[in-house]
Amino acid sequence: MIGALLVAAACAALLALGARLPTAVRRWTSPLCVAGLACASWHLACVLTNTPVFPTPTRSFAAIIELGRTPRLWQDVTASLFRVTWGFGLAAAIGIPVGLWIGWSTRAFEALNPIVQFLRPISPIAWIPISILWFGLGDVSAGFLILIASIFPILVGTTAAVQNIPQVYVRSAANFGLEGFDLFRRIVLPAAMPQIITSLRIALGVAWLVIVAAEMVGMRSGLGYLVSDARNMGNRYDLVVAAMIMIGLIGIVLDVLIRRLQEFDEVRWGFAKR
Amino acid sequence: MNSAQAKPKVVFEAVSKDFERRGEALRVLDPIELVVREGEFVCLLGPSGCGKSTLLNIAGGFEAPSAGRVLIDGEAVSGPSPQRVFVFQEYGIFPWASVWDNVSLGLRHLPKDQIYATTQQTIDLVGLTGFEKSYPMELSGGMKQRVGVARALAVSPDVIFMDEPFGALDSLTRLTMRAELIRIWQTRKPTILFVTHDVDESIQLADRVVVFSPRPGRIAGVVEVALPHPRDLGSNEYGQIKNELYELLGVKHAI
Ligand SMILES: Nc1ncnc2c1ncn2[C@@H]1O[C@H](COP(=O)(O)OP(=O)(O)OP(=O)(O)O)[C@@H](O)[C@H]1O
Ligand SMILES: [Mg+2]
Repeated sequence: MIGALLVAAACAALLALGARLPTAVRRWTSPLCVAGLACASWHLACVLTNTPVFPTPTRSFAAIIELGRTPRLWQDVTASLFRVTWGFGLAAAIGIPVGLWIGWSTRAFEALNPIVQFLRPISPIAWIPISILWFGLGDVSAGFLILIASIFPILVGTTAAVQNIPQVYVRSAANFGLEGFDLFRRIVLPAAMPQIITSLRIALGVAWLVIVAAEMVGMRSGLGYLVSDARNMGNRYDLVVAAMIMIGLIGIVLDVLIRRLQEFDEVRWGFAKR
Repeated sequence: MNSAQAKPKVVFEAVSKDFERRGEALRVLDPIELVVREGEFVCLLGPSGCGKSTLLNIAGGFEAPSAGRVLIDGEAVSGPSPQRVFVFQEYGIFPWASVWDNVSLGLRHLPKDQIYATTQQTIDLVGLTGFEKSYPMELSGGMKQRVGVARALAVSPDVIFMDEPFGALDSLTRLTMRAELIRIWQTRKPTILFVTHDVDESIQLADRVVVFSPRPGRIAGVVEVALPHPRDLGSNEYGQIKNELYELLGVKHAI
């Protein structure tokens, strides 16, 4: 109790001081202070309500360490990451070229956009029974769900990216006689690339959301399975929260990794602050 | 300038344009008749919205006229061609490509050593030496515009269309860019059609200034600028031409 209050006070003070810190330091301290404040409030809430089941932050972090000692956590993390990697990779491999095509060709857009818009709002969760029916319980099934979940942001984002290419670029290209594959490689793809990267980023976030849900319902491994399994084996809510924290942390790492794509010279123009 | 003796390069034959607007036809250009001679520098001057860009886009092959046609070297224009290059007002160069890649865009079909030589030569010509590897976002507005000009010059076009290329620049940069454009034009002698709504700009650049009336655009008059370059902005003739243009535009010069 006293400890939590002390942590809260220290974090609040550091946040208030933020304006005087150099930006490079503040970029790290500010989010850490917010996390500290959140943990302190969490702890206080647990103590004040005297909850019998909900774990305190200390218990939860202890549970992460407990999990980390066994091979279980790493097996679940790799299982989830493996499924996301190939489901998302497949979604990008299909979604980007098809999106480029739908965005470029009016006729393809007319024919295919309605079905895309029809399938898009169907939650990937709704596909779980069908996925299990088709592919059984396992990595193929999970990868399929990730594919379904992440292909639509990529497809729709890529289509819009191509449709939004300023006319002046297309006219310049036509003026210098670019056509066919050359036109796609040199103009359409690079002009659309920043928005494609943004849609990949969104899609990866969705994929990571959905893998947990999919694993909770229909898998025997992965972080989602860890969550539901921890609850089932004697209400180990500390393990539940530990798994949730791991999911969030890995989500941050994935986003940081995919944001690296924004730093290439060819796409920096699309993200520059003007 | 001896332009009267040079052969016709770009010929507008009764070119008119209507746009569809909410089911109604909007007349933007009344039939335009104009002959631009080889190597001539012609400015199209007119108020905003009078159809200058539209006319230039038709000549560049990006839009079709509603009636009439544009002949270049005696052949009707049916689409864009690298022989006739457009310099756009803004953002015409590709932000994802370096200066070098932008300028060499139109040279793809040449042998490697020739691409290299021509690109370097053109970059030097517009004064961007040392910035070959830079990306447009790292350049100033004037430098970006030079990349656009260099990209056009690299393919040695016979005709260059420029749609208010210096419109977004500050007045000082604009003056430098005009001087450079004249220098380049004098060395290579392409035919240039240059859209502007700046009276001074048109007198500083053009052999002839074609003045447009407000929409629907039609030619209100053509003024010859028979002054040698570099032109003296303070000279009497300059003032006379300026008055003449203002009169054609229907605005009072002195306020
Ligand atoms: N695609 C279009 N559809 C409908 N109307 C158009 C279209 N393009 C241009 N117009 C109309 O045609 C007229 C002339 O446009 P244009 O762009 O040629 O003018 P401008 O002389 O270049 O003007 P500015 O100096 O402002 O660039 C305008 O009134 C505009 O509303
Ligand atoms: Mg215009």
